[in-house]
Amino acid sequence: MYFPYFITYMALGFVISLVVFFWALKNGQFKEQQRARFLPLEDERKASVEKVSNIKRYEIYALMFLALAGLAASAAVLVFSLLNANI
Amino acid sequence: MTGKSQPSSQNYLTAKGFCLTSAFWFVVATSMGLLGATELMAPDLTENIGWLVFGRIRPIHVNLVLFGFVTPGLLSAAFYYVPRLLRTELYSEKLGFITVLAWNVTLVFAVVSLASGYSQGREYAEMIWPVDILVVLAFSLVFVNLIMTVSRRKEPILYVSIWYACAAVVLTAVTFALGNVIWRPNSGSLVGIPDAILLWFYGHNVFGLLLTPLSAGVAYYVIPKACRAPLYSHTLSLFGFWSLLVVYTHIGTHHLLQVPVPTWLKVISIVDSVAMVIPVMAFLINIWYTAKGKLGEIHADIGAKFVFTGTIMYFFVSIQGSMMALPDVQRVTHFNNWVVAHAHVGVLGFAGMIALGGLYYILPRITGKPLYSRFLADFQYWLILIGVIGFTVVLTIVGLIQGNAWLNGEIVYRVLPEIHMYYIARASLGLIIFSSAILGLYNILRSIFFNPGEIS
Repeated sequence: MYFPYFITYMALGFVISLVVFFWALKNGQFKEQQRARFLPLEDERKASVEKVSNIKRYEIYALMFLALAGLAASAAVLVFSLLNANI
Repeated sequence: MTGKSQPSSQNYLTAKGFCLTSAFWFVVATSMGLLGATELMAPDLTENIGWLVFGRIRPIHVNLVLFGFVTPGLLSAAFYYVPRLLRTELYSEKLGFITVLAWNVTLVFAVVSLASGYSQGREYAEMIWPVDILVVLAFSLVFVNLIMTVSRRKEPILYVSIWYACAAVVLTAVTFALGNVIWRPNSGSLVGIPDAILLWFYGHNVFGLLLTPLSAGVAYYVIPKACRAPLYSHTLSLFGFWSLLVVYTHIGTHHLLQVPVPTWLKVISIVDSVAMVIPVMAFLINIWYTAKGKLGEIHADIGAKFVFTGTIMYFFVSIQGSMMALPDVQRVTHFNNWVVAHAHVGVLGFAGMIALGGLYYILPRITGKPLYSRFLADFQYWLILIGVIGFTVVLTIVGLIQGNAWLNGEIVYRVLPEIHMYYIARASLGLIIFSSAILGLYNILRSIFFNPGEIS
């Protein structure tokens, strides 16, 4: 009989998650969401943005091609799997 | 260089230590992967060399990629961004350094014990009990350092990356202890079906509750910084965080759909696997909208370039994962190399790319000097990208051949010659990734120790 252990673990996990969630709620972690968006930028360096060269532009096209190839492979697998599911 | 509220002096010893750990074990892990792929192509290669047989090489490769390369890479970035986002200093660099040492000692024990044939024989949970304890201890040390830093923060609001980093460490320490059944040192397992359920609860969560949140934490920090733009929505990011916790924890049983586990558990795992689209799209929409119109800035920063590519891979691997949980799809795709392709897109393409991105983003900041070679980093980027996509295509084809053969009732020895040429391609791609790991190690070593660049 193993269910009691699993249910105990799930219940504990649920309770701990709730405790943390309500701590966050009470602590104001869900307030000031607009300011929170800027937190990583507050130590921003004043460096200039590197100019994008044509080579980098070609790199983007190559990246897009590879990404589309990966998507096509995944789509092909899905179609193939569904077509053969009722064999 | 820094804002008024930033810590004035830090040596980033912990971040550097995890950075070197990640770069070094990436080389070892990929060498093991390459050797394993070569053995699949030429099974007699290491005949009679016990500690190099495939059954020992494979778990070494998997565990080193998880705990040697990707996790330390992501932790390195976390040990940089956590104090900065909290406007304080790391609780203890000394404790961090001890953690790095403990982490590496654990990995050495893991490699030696697995190579010597000491294994608990459960996928992703092969390491023996003493090593399991060391892993839990190492995660506990990381947690103490992070949570004490949080408690001493000067910034009241916890940015979403902090949530992800802390949750990943706590959840993994607990999940690892449970999944490895550490209360039974001799076997490290339960008996029968309950053990399979517990194992895959751990097996999938080591990705979903360790690599995914740590990667999301890095992406949420690096992308706004590189774009010099605020996060699209912090509320959406917190929604993604909490929904990840709710949904991801239940999906491990989708590995056991063809096993007599309770039906209700299978239904939950399938439903939540499909529901993963919620936290995944919450994350991706947020990151991609933050970067909207700023691809030039992304490409100008090699760290951000790695991270952004990792998010694209996350899209692929998540869509795959949700689809693979559907029983009709799984009849073809399970128990063959299609799953191996999926795992490589997830661990290397998504989490590995973001780990490397995090490293390359923080390196100039923790050393105070520019990266030793942007060219080498770019070259490594393309090698890994070609390697991962190549793996995906090749192993997907092999998986379909194997899955179809399985459905048709064909016997294994008739299928093996059909897939042999793909195994050659797989080993070749493994060589590309191994080469990229060596380039990365060289670049990182030169950036930290022998960097001729001027101090900024």
